[in-house]
Amino acid sequence: MSRRYEILHALAIKKQATAADCARLAGVTAAETAEVLRVAAATGRAIERDGSYLLTPLARIALESDYSRQFDQVRGDHGFVDAYERFERINIELKTLITDWQTIDAGGTRMSNDHSDTDYDLGILDRLGDLHERATEVLDELKKRLPRFDYYQIHLEQALQKAEQGALEWVSGARIESYHTLWFELHEDLLRILGRRRSER
Amino acid sequence: MDTAGPLWTLKLDGGLVPPRDLIGGKAWSLAQMCAIGLRVPAAFVITTQACAAYLRNNELPAQLRAQIDAAIGWLEEQSNRRFGAGPRPLLVSVRSGASVSMPGMMDTVLNLGINDETEQMLAGECGDPEFARDTHQRFLEMYRKIVLKGDTGAPVPQALRDQLYAAIEAVFRSWNSPRARRYRAHHGISNDLGTAVTVQAMVFGNADERSGTGVLFTRNPATGSAEIYGEYLHRAQGEAIVSGTHTPEPLDGMRTRVGEAMDELLRAARQLEDLHQDVQDIEFTVERGRLYLLQSRSAKRSPQAAVRIAVQMVSEGRIDPDEALCRISPEQVRMLLRPRIAPAVVHSAKVLLRGEAASPGVGVGTVVGSADEAESRGNSGEAVVLSCSTTSPEDLHGLIAAQATITELGGSTSHAAVVARALGKPCVVGCGAGTLQTLLTQTVTVDGNTGTIYADVLPLEIQREAADADLAQLIAWAAERSAIRVETAAPAGVDVIDFDHLARMGEPGGLARALELIPPGSSVRGALFAQDDIAAEAAVRAGVTLIVTSPRLPALLVCMRTQRSGSAQHDTTL
Repeated sequence: MSRRYEILHALAIKKQATAADCARLAGVTAAETAEVLRVAAATGRAIERDGSYLLTPLARIALESDYSRQFDQVRGDHGFVDAYERFERINIELKTLITDWQTIDAGGTRMSNDHSDTDYDLGILDRLGDLHERATEVLDELKKRLPRFDYYQIHLEQALQKAEQGALEWVSGARIESYHTLWFELHEDLLRILGRRRSER
Repeated sequence: MDTAGPLWTLKLDGGLVPPRDLIGGKAWSLAQMCAIGLRVPAAFVITTQACAAYLRNNELPAQLRAQIDAAIGWLEEQSNRRFGAGPRPLLVSVRSGASVSMPGMMDTVLNLGINDETEQMLAGECGDPEFARDTHQRFLEMYRKIVLKGDTGAPVPQALRDQLYAAIEAVFRSWNSPRARRYRAHHGISNDLGTAVTVQAMVFGNADERSGTGVLFTRNPATGSAEIYGEYLHRAQGEAIVSGTHTPEPLDGMRTRVGEAMDELLRAARQLEDLHQDVQDIEFTVERGRLYLLQSRSAKRSPQAAVRIAVQMVSEGRIDPDEALCRISPEQVRMLLRPRIAPAVVHSAKVLLRGEAASPGVGVGTVVGSADEAESRGNSGEAVVLSCSTTSPEDLHGLIAAQATITELGGSTSHAAVVARALGKPCVVGCGAGTLQTLLTQTVTVDGNTGTIYADVLPLEIQREAADADLAQLIAWAAERSAIRVETAAPAGVDVIDFDHLARMGEPGGLARALELIPPGSSVRGALFAQDDIAAEAAVRAGVTLIVTSPRLPALLVCMRTQRSGSAQHDTTL
């Protein structure tokens, strides 16, 4: 797969992102990414707004219609697909875990977790750490085929560590590359690569 | 102690409560219950000193094994059961317990002591072969996952004693798991503390007709009213409450089935509340009519309950106003004061759709069908509600710009729900496939507390802190104690620096820089001091003497918290 395609794929996952952010996700140098995005903007494939890029609707369709060809080999790789299926099973746990992180049960009523109970939060961080160890094994498998998945492994680990150090917003903060934000991007990435649809159950 | 030498095992026999750093937090709270004469399932602790001995040699010293064997003998006597033998087999739980909790420690192993023979005995005892088989299966799964760490090559030891020793060693080893080490390093916790291990007899809430399991709150955790609240599951094991396989009945049902145990439970509830001077959440099991307390801890409660109970407990003379103020967080006060749809209006309002309540709060706006539209119209000042089939990270900008989000598919763990909660925005999910199309361009009111979408703009009721007697009391206590005044209006003749203006400019890092500019002793005004704890704390640290904001209580609580941490720091530097 071309590096140009990788860069545009990264932009599709991030939707609206700077060249630096796309470069990190695509695993391509910042200079090359900036150049690819500059050309994409000049040729009508992307729009630049305050230093951030987003794909034009047509470029997005062109990108998506080419997924099956671009990721043909990965889709036929049993090791990769098996690892993806393990990811889906862990994903169910992660969703429950994030809900338990954000809400608490007070005698049958769920309400926002105000994070005043350190032991409760630690219990969930413990579950997250355990889940992360299993996710790491899955990412090790995925990386064999797509080395750029290293990005997720490194940043998920960092988000977890920041949360463990007391910066709690790194679990599910929506405006930062929190554990949940990255996890969701990883999921999106995998769904696109394998041509699957998200099931919201 | 039955063996001279190091303090490696301790029976929880109702004697003196051993030090917390020797037996860990969980065993310590069990010991506290024993000490006031309450019955817990028989248990002993392998101490943090034994942990140190294990970690020095990477094996259990022979003398420790002997002590463990003797302690198991004591558990057998206490529970009238036999480990690995009949007629009534002793099953135990093995759990880690350091004096401070931390991630990375071993999870609890339940039902250790079950094998093919004891499974048969348990089946006979409970008259439920399926339960016994299930218990055995779940034990093996748990053991493989937790003790063998999922290593499929490693066999589960045949002998029950070896299983027990291996589980204890696994707890000790987990003290040095990478996550635990990382956590201790960051939080300055010594690596030498070590963890204790609690070994406790299992009790069976499904043993017969006079058995069951349940949970009791010493006060109502939703409303805060001073009445016992709880659930009882007749003839069931504790896990059944969580798994939802049985339908619990209200606690009253317990009275007709096991009246004596119920009376004992109510006495225990009073004792535990007196001991902790806080609302307790108590887990218990009744085995053959005998009550066992499994755990008691401070109950989680709604913001409303937190405020009611804190004030009540002062009037009951249980705690002082300082403690009451410590028990309320600024966030709880904000949640309590969130605008609600006026109750009088709710009955006559037209309900358009119902879904699952995913993130609390009320949002009003025109329904739009894409995140991009929500962003462009929202940013030009229009109130919009984002509706989607489902949401994904691509829609984040829309969720931020919208007053509320509604989705057709997905439940309380879906992306929209998670992100809305993280942003503190109302959200209703799972309204049904194809239901939202008809709402486009309509003006709706979304109630994220109940999961209801109403037609039109419904009037919201602003909650006034001064109108609530309990909040007013807390404000009075806080105002007396806070070194900084917090008022809703500036006194005449006082110069007040306006921070609302700064917030509207939206300059990043502007607050910190602006606070650096103002001289100590200044007065400041701004809604952000009520909404954002970090802003309020920054103002306190900048030396302001008056904050003008509304509501007052969140900022007052932050002032007090900052004062407390400041004086604590001062103490340590002396």
